[in-house]
Amino acid sequence: MKVDANNFVSVAQIAVNDPDLQEAVSLGTYNGYSKRLVAMFSNGHEHGEAMRQQAAAMRRRAIQKLPDLLELAEKNMTANGIKVLWAETAEDVRNMVLDIAKKRNAKLVAKSKSMISEEVALNHAFEENGIEVVETDLGEYIIQLNKETPSHIVMPVMHRTKREIRDLFMRELNMPFTDDAAEMTAFIRKHLRQVFVNADIGISGGNFIIAESGSLCLVTNEGNGRMVTAMPKVHIGIVGIEKVIETIEDYATLTQILPRSATGQQMTVYMQMINGPRREDEPDGPDEVYVILVDNGRSKVYATKYAEALTCIRCGACLNACPVYQVTGGHAYGWVYSGPIGAVITPALTGLENATPLPQASSLCGKCKQVCPVDIDIPRMLLDLRHELVEKGMTDKIFDVGLKAWSIGNRSPKLFIMGGAVARFGTRFLPNRLPGPLGGWTKYRDFPQFAPKPFRELWKERKKGKPS
Amino acid sequence: MTSARDRILGKLRAAQKPFDELPPAPPKRYMSRPEDLSAEGLRARFVQEVKKLSCIPIEHADAESAIEYILGVIGEDSSVITWDFEQIPLTGLETALNDRGIQRGQPRDDKVRVGITGAVAAFASTGSLMMTSGAGKPRIASLLPPVHIAVIHGNQILPDFDTWIEQKRAEGIGSFNRPANNFLITGSSRTSDIAMESVLGVHGPGEVHVVILV
Repeated sequence: MKVDANNFVSVAQIAVNDPDLQEAVSLGTYNGYSKRLVAMFSNGHEHGEAMRQQAAAMRRRAIQKLPDLLELAEKNMTANGIKVLWAETAEDVRNMVLDIAKKRNAKLVAKSKSMISEEVALNHAFEENGIEVVETDLGEYIIQLNKETPSHIVMPVMHRTKREIRDLFMRELNMPFTDDAAEMTAFIRKHLRQVFVNADIGISGGNFIIAESGSLCLVTNEGNGRMVTAMPKVHIGIVGIEKVIETIEDYATLTQILPRSATGQQMTVYMQMINGPRREDEPDGPDEVYVILVDNGRSKVYATKYAEALTCIRCGACLNACPVYQVTGGHAYGWVYSGPIGAVITPALTGLENATPLPQASSLCGKCKQVCPVDIDIPRMLLDLRHELVEKGMTDKIFDVGLKAWSIGNRSPKLFIMGGAVARFGTRFLPNRLPGPLGGWTKYRDFPQFAPKPFRELWKERKKGKPS
Repeated sequence: MTSARDRILGKLRAAQKPFDELPPAPPKRYMSRPEDLSAEGLRARFVQEVKKLSCIPIEHADAESAIEYILGVIGEDSSVITWDFEQIPLTGLETALNDRGIQRGQPRDDKVRVGITGAVAAFASTGSLMMTSGAGKPRIASLLPPVHIAVIHGNQILPDFDTWIEQKRAEGIGSFNRPANNFLITGSSRTSDIAMESVLGVHGPGEVHVVILV
């Protein structure tokens, strides 16, 4: 997927002025945020915090040992009968998947939800090669039908109201009119049924890979994840190299904290531990299972101070909690991963020059760290990114001029007094706005009036005993 | 020429470790261990959790009444998808279905309405069913038909998923990854992708009955 994060401000402005989007995103983020609170702390606050720390330690140990665990995972997956492939770039992933599809003479591919497949623009590659690919997660199906991109890691179509989705189904699929989400869902269920039965290949992402057992783990709710890994003859799992964890005990904790943080469920409806192709005595399941381990910039991030972001388990809690995301929605962030974690991952993976506004798209309130199930210090990394912006000269030049002037003025009492007097006098003639390049600051707020007398003078008068 | 694999691993190995010092692993805590670990306590909690998930738990003291209940769910249908009967802990089910002329349908037949399975374990704290793929146990029986009936014995109910993992650890990792697929079912297929409204029965079964033999 093309990175388009440098237009954050203009896309966010459109979002802020879109009443449908505002209705949908505030409903979605509120829902996610409040359900998470109940589920995470159902056994008390102390217990919930202890679980977060336990999960954080597990993910950190895994990332610390990443190369060793990847080798172990490869060895054990291979022993389980899984074909393991390594992809350095998005293009590698597309070529590998297309190769398998061509070898199998595939006409129809069924996909369950996978953010990394968005990252590597997989659907486009299929379409270019005349292979039909169908998203089977309801939200992703809506996204595909409407030719847009997901706006949330967990709830891909959070930015659309029920009315908009209804109108889309009526327009594209001749669905009869209804206002009932259950009827709309039943309509799509019927529509997608034959896709599962007829698909030649099923594609999934992966939430975790357990190194010691060689298992690819998936959490889903709708059942499409089980369908695409059970019905077609071939299953391909596309997984970022950072998703590996060490033990089955780690899995037990992480797979339970993920749904609590994401959707407020104790467990998702279906949690799979996939150990390979159908065994000889088993009645169903795929004959071939591939796992493509994807780098696509992750090994580069591993060597930076943003490596902590690789511990993310993609629950979306920081998106729901973020006051910026709550009003902009996800598309403004310009790539696959949005919200606070996206504001770190996008510049880290694709280059800071492609995402200069993202580190600023935060009030640094710290809520993202507070809700993170693995306690990622997102505010720290946003500050590091801002620092890098300054060091690399990627900030607005007016900042440098302003800060220099401020620095000089503040080192000399005389200059400070003079500057104050000039500003007090000069701003009287401003119509509540700052001129020229400073205008951005006063576009949505009035420029405050200067106090008629500075504190310095008030202090002097007070000492002399005059009433102020 | 080096491979993509070697280049990726090489870059990771060349990098400085991401964390200066790792905190020692905190003592293992359980996500949701029930307070009452007696057999009755676990069963009561399991039933309570299954209800919360909008599924239907039914406790039966004898096989006949359990079979009667299952036949009631099947109603007038002429076929069902089932596991092999020796995998379902309910003697007499096969005979009862035969007597009614109910056939075993093809697993991939998406016209069949009811699927009948057992489970390898159940978890009280979350109302989950633990399944593993294996001989005579088509995965699709709990997935493709819109109605799923799972039959378990009360003594299969464990406190939580962590307990099952502890059992696998004790038995050896081979007992965990021998089946092609281990999976947990917690509730019925659901979505809230359309305006956060919870809808059951998206692609998997929207109606789940858990028959518990006590």
